Amino acid sequence: MKVVEINDVSKTYHDTEVEVKAVNGVTLSFEKGDFAVVVGPSGSGKTTLLNLIGGLDQPTGGEIIVAGHRLSELRPSELIDFRMEHVGFVFQSYNLIPVLTAEENVGFIMNLQKWPKEKRKARTDELLLSVGLSDRHKSRPSQLSGGQQQRVAVARALAPRPEFILADEPTANLDSKSAETLLDIMEKLNREEQMTFIFSTHDIRVMKRARRVITLEDGRVVSDERTNGAG
Amino acid sequence: MITSIAWKNVWRNKTRSFTVIAAVTIGVFAGVFSMAAINSSIVQRINAAVNEELSHIQVNNKDFRSSGDIRDIISDPSAVISTLEKTAGVTAVTGRIIVRGIASTSAGSTGVEITGIDTEKEKQMFTIDRKLIPGTGSYFGSDTKFNTAFIGEKLARELNIIRYILTSEALSGLETAGVPLTVIEKLRSLEGQRFTTEKKFSAAYSELLSAKELKKYGLKIKEAGWSYREGSRIILTFLDMNNNQTGAAFRICGIYRTNNDLFESLTVFVPASELRQLTGIGEGQFHRIIARLEEDDLTNDVTPVIREALPGYEVMNWKEIQPDLAMIADYINQIYAVFMVLILAALAFGIVNTMLMAVLERTRELGMLAAIGMNRRRVFMMIMLESIFLSIVGGVAGMAVSGIVIAITGHTGINLVKYSEGMEAFGYSAHLYPSIGAEFFVTLTILIVVTGIVSAIYPARKALKLNPVEALRGE
Repeated sequence: MKVVEINDVSKTYHDTEVEVKAVNGVTLSFEKGDFAVVVGPSGSGKTTLLNLIGGLDQPTGGEIIVAGHRLSELRPSELIDFRMEHVGFVFQSYNLIPVLTAEENVGFIMNLQKWPKEKRKARTDELLLSVGLSDRHKSRPSQLSGGQQQRVAVARALAPRPEFILADEPTANLDSKSAETLLDIMEKLNREEQMTFIFSTHDIRVMKRARRVITLEDGRVVSDERTNGAG
Repeated sequence: MITSIAWKNVWRNKTRSFTVIAAVTIGVFAGVFSMAAINSSIVQRINAAVNEELSHIQVNNKDFRSSGDIRDIISDPSAVISTLEKTAGVTAVTGRIIVRGIASTSAGSTGVEITGIDTEKEKQMFTIDRKLIPGTGSYFGSDTKFNTAFIGEKLARELNIIRYILTSEALSGLETAGVPLTVIEKLRSLEGQRFTTEKKFSAAYSELLSAKELKKYGLKIKEAGWSYREGSRIILTFLDMNNNQTGAAFRICGIYRTNNDLFESLTVFVPASELRQLTGIGEGQFHRIIARLEEDDLTNDVTPVIREALPGYEVMNWKEIQPDLAMIADYINQIYAVFMVLILAALAFGIVNTMLMAVLERTRELGMLAAIGMNRRRVFMMIMLESIFLSIVGGVAGMAVSGIVIAITGHTGINLVKYSEGMEAFGYSAHLYPSIGAEFFVTLTILIVVTGIVSAIYPARKALKLNPVEALRGE
């Protein structure tokens, strides 16, 4: 089942003097349960592509359909709701809410969606257990290591059961051990919950685990390979 | 959830939040306390004017105030008194005979207004009898065959009725009052010497003391040296009903002290009966008939009623007699408003500055919140709530501090005796008892919250304009 369809999508930035084509005629689709990475050198358009898929940015050409929604047809306020309902984000710098505890961070989006308290708590407990932080419910981000914070961020992204997770360089700030642990967790969630993961990365460890590697250069897809995810 | 995050956000940068809260607290305190002090000063002045000098409404012969002629008496005093007594809101009525003249002693003379009063009725309408300086006699208390006068302290000084002598008792009193023996020893050379004026006395002891001693004990020494010669007499001269000069010696029965130097130096109270004998003014005749009302607030309503009932007379209320005071009384709300605007403007600048800093510092976080699905309304609400919490905490702290300080100083008073000469020349007390109505606190609380909301609009709009992609790129 297709979760994301990208048809001839372009994104052009108009700088003061030059026109920059960050994404140039990309056509791709992602299936439910994909564990895909988008790789390429700096400036190749990886982050821009993820932003377009996540509805954070609008393409200047082409069409993106996510879970049956044509993103170009959504108003800004509808795009915010769309992101909350369908997309989970994991950022390079964790971006947890510093004043909230781990469980409050995980429950944040469910709270915005007005989940009942018991249901929200059960989901939070389940996710913190699966990311190996069942003993850190009450810890603030400042009391957690980088790896632990990123695991909380993954749990937060997964909490409202989105269609897919977009993870922009999720291991870039982590040491090897933390990165491997995080990847183990994400692989497990992908396997057990059939959760779709789309990464952008430079990290060879992520590439090795991926079952699909899409390479971008100058905003174009130069290869799209399916692998075994040898990790 | 948004409320909880907003509250926690207020405390994430404790130093900055405490600085802003401290600034708001100090600002609110300064404003409220100044207002309370000004308010008390005005209220005390109005009370003094109404209770000691003017009462609420005065009825005069039409020409009397401008001419000052002793013959311009009220033509039908019984009718006037009867009309006033029947008027709703009037609680007491009394008549006065007022004669302009000269008060003199061997030391000098000065112009005065000799006010012949019904001493018992006046006690019901005025508080001047309670302004008697202890040790100076009484308010027309003792039966005497002499004419008696109740005069102000300022006049007593001008006529050298008050003198300054450091007696051995006075020096012992200073020791009890905590003045060091070394200082008392220095003052011994002045023991028993008489000084006719305060100026001469203070010049004498100032020469003996260091500047520090003078600053610390000067006031106590001056008070200790204050001496009144009991049974002193003044000569009052004036014109009688036939325009002939007349006069008599009056024994001073007591000296009163108010906060109004001008009133003290001008007004000499004597029993109306004594003045009638000397001037030839008939029994039951007056220059002025005064009415006291149940409440100050009735003044504006009752005045036109009396004016209409007594068309042939000059009817004036205290606000018309002292328009400067009336203006202050009437404009006190505007004065409140100016102070409130100043307090709230300072608060608004503090809040806008802090919240702008908070928004700019948290660009990435706000971008992330927008990215994961926090809509514009919730972001706006969060920033607004943070601002409101900051305002409320600072405002409430400021009002709590103000409330406590006002309660304490309202009880103990603030002694501005250093500036008493300047203040009392205008009739204002040098002892302030700050007070402010509860409604001022309620209004200020509401306005502080409103200011917090208004101040947050600009920073909150700034947060709404953030583009999530650009905000996240900020990392």
